[in-house]
Amino acid sequence: MKPDAKLDAMLADREVIVCVGCGGAGKTTVAAALALEAARRGRKALVLTIDPARRLADALGVESLGNRPQAIPRETLDALGVPRRGNLSAMMLDMKRTFDDLVERFAESEEVRDRVFENSIYQHVSNALAGSVEYSAMEKVFELHESGAFDLIVVDTPPAQHALDFLEAPQRLLEFLDSRLVKMLIHPAFAAGRFGFRLFHRGTQWVLQVLERITGIGFLEDLSEFLIAFDAMADGFRDRAHRVRSLLLGPESTFVLVSGPGGESARRASDFLDRLESYGVSLAGVLVNRIRLWPSEGFPPGGDAQPAADIEALRDALRASEGTDYPAQLAAEAAVKAATRYAEWVRADARSAQPLRERIEAQGRFWGRVPEFERDVHDLSGLGRVADRIAGKEEP
Amino acid sequence: MAAGAQRSLLENRLVIVTGKGGTGKTTVSAALALAGARAGLRVLVAEMGPDEQIPRLLDPRAPRAGYAGCAILPGLRAMRIEPFEALAEYLGLQLGVRAIVDAVVRNRAFRQLMTAAPGWRELITLGKIWHLAQLDSEDPPGRRFDLIVVDAPATGHGVAFLDVPRVVVSAVRAGPLRAHAQRVERMLEDSDQTLVLPVALAEELPAREIAELTDRVRNEIGISIDRVIVNAVVGPPFPDAIRDLDEALARLDGDLELGALPPPRVLARCAHHLRSRHELNRRFTAEIQHTTGLPIVELPRLPEGIQGPDQISSLASALLAKPVFLK
Repeated sequence: MKPDAKLDAMLADREVIVCVGCGGAGKTTVAAALALEAARRGRKALVLTIDPARRLADALGVESLGNRPQAIPRETLDALGVPRRGNLSAMMLDMKRTFDDLVERFAESEEVRDRVFENSIYQHVSNALAGSVEYSAMEKVFELHESGAFDLIVVDTPPAQHALDFLEAPQRLLEFLDSRLVKMLIHPAFAAGRFGFRLFHRGTQWVLQVLERITGIGFLEDLSEFLIAFDAMADGFRDRAHRVRSLLLGPESTFVLVSGPGGESARRASDFLDRLESYGVSLAGVLVNRIRLWPSEGFPPGGDAQPAADIEALRDALRASEGTDYPAQLAAEAAVKAATRYAEWVRADARSAQPLRERIEAQGRFWGRVPEFERDVHDLSGLGRVADRIAGKEEP
Repeated sequence: MAAGAQRSLLENRLVIVTGKGGTGKTTVSAALALAGARAGLRVLVAEMGPDEQIPRLLDPRAPRAGYAGCAILPGLRAMRIEPFEALAEYLGLQLGVRAIVDAVVRNRAFRQLMTAAPGWRELITLGKIWHLAQLDSEDPPGRRFDLIVVDAPATGHGVAFLDVPRVVVSAVRAGPLRAHAQRVERMLEDSDQTLVLPVALAEELPAREIAELTDRVRNEIGISIDRVIVNAVVGPPFPDAIRDLDEALARLDGDLELGALPPPRVLARCAHHLRSRHELNRRFTAEIQHTTGLPIVELPRLPEGIQGPDQISSLASALLAKPVFLK
């Protein structure tokens, strides 16, 4: 399959596209543009975003935090070239609420639920609990996918310290809940402040003693209480986490790596790719965002001085057009300098991206480029332009 | 220290470089470390990300610095703070017996607990920085490092990391953990020694984020902040007398033959792109200055991008410029 056909196939068949990449690469914009392009091809698409630029959020109509998908109005879709059979919705994730919803769902009684909500550890850390942002985003994807309301969900992942936190988070949480140490901590005697260390398996008892020495016992008691409440929900949670994982690694899902231009971005994207590969996820391709491209005609001027005769020709044309008072010589030289400077950016971006490009193309994945525009993308028509470039349409 | 009364960046003992991903935080950290070493200071630059970037920016042949760190240039050491290694070191200091520490850190149950547990990575990392800042040197006498540059993690709100000691102090009732968090908090809040250096791009989203970031650092976390670094600024593309050059070029016959030069249509597009990016940068630099109330140091967008030591070196001098309120 040709790389471009890979992009087409992805937009036509996949049910979940996960956009991954380092912070600042423009994942949100690319995710929204991919969803728009799928809608233009007749699908019912949803973009799930974490923290979009305010004006982009306004444009998409997701300013209000409802933690629910919101449909883009029909007249807007008409203007963007989305046919009647397609549609586009957007949603901004309210992470805390998604996590609270989970607790509501799996708590076996109101008492358990309230105990979790009131626990000081939950209150302090439900935002920071390892991977809870990532987990709640993926949980939401699963829920929306199950609902069957959309043909395609494009997910904009939160910027993560480690590339695949959102994939690993559920697993980690489960291993944590299953660990012997946690089993000890959730022993009622412990929570009650009677440290029945000797009751436990000798193998890990000293680990708790060490922990106590570092943290102080009060902390462990609170932690223990939190875990007891959480453990009551573990079965529902465990089952759910497995299903989320199977969806993301299954045939209905694929990943797109979004990279910024420039050497540092390309190097980070390359490191990211190593991890994706070691994880065995299905990667459809790479989109390099905000790369400087040379217009489709004419050759970019090199570093050498341009022939004086050519600059004079430009000067004469400017003088004829702007009048004899116009500083035409200065202008002609400045125009050449500007083009040379722009060409330098273009070459630097191409050079930086080359190793990643070779690697991706050798794997038969798609390599897409979205140029840097004169203005930043912050409305639906800007998104339309990004979608055009992703789909390979030339600048008019 | 109040905004506006800036001392040199090199007069701080600890500079925490923050900013969202993609703003060039790591580049700025490397440039500041280099500027310090050039001024004769003993500098340590510490990064936190999973992938080590700074040594290879300063010297393409540099080895991996790792947790032990390595000397990159005379007077400049680099390291990467890895939380589990920092934890092992901390436990060693607390418990004294290496064999116990190794057994604890290697224990599977312990690793599972710590992998899922929130907050400790930030706390242990800041604790390591505190420890490094206390290290003494015998020859010459004094502190081992005059300047410690920290490339803060880019996750989420870049400053959530700095808030952890405060959260721990309020969540933990007593004990060594609380005492440790209080020590770290005191170091961060010492405005004679510690500075947060935010790095932004003069574009819409980064401009809004930097306003939120400075607001949080000042009002919630209480760490000194005295300037904003605005990175990758596109300077004026043409002399003032012909500031509408792109429009003049667009009025020419677009297909006119100009020998080796691209036709006017292409020249006009290049000129327009440069001008638009320049005007956009200028507008959002003004907005950053307005919303943060802080003076600005601008770093240019380098035509060749950030490739290595040459670019870091040219940014190192620009970085030390006196912060100004632009008109």
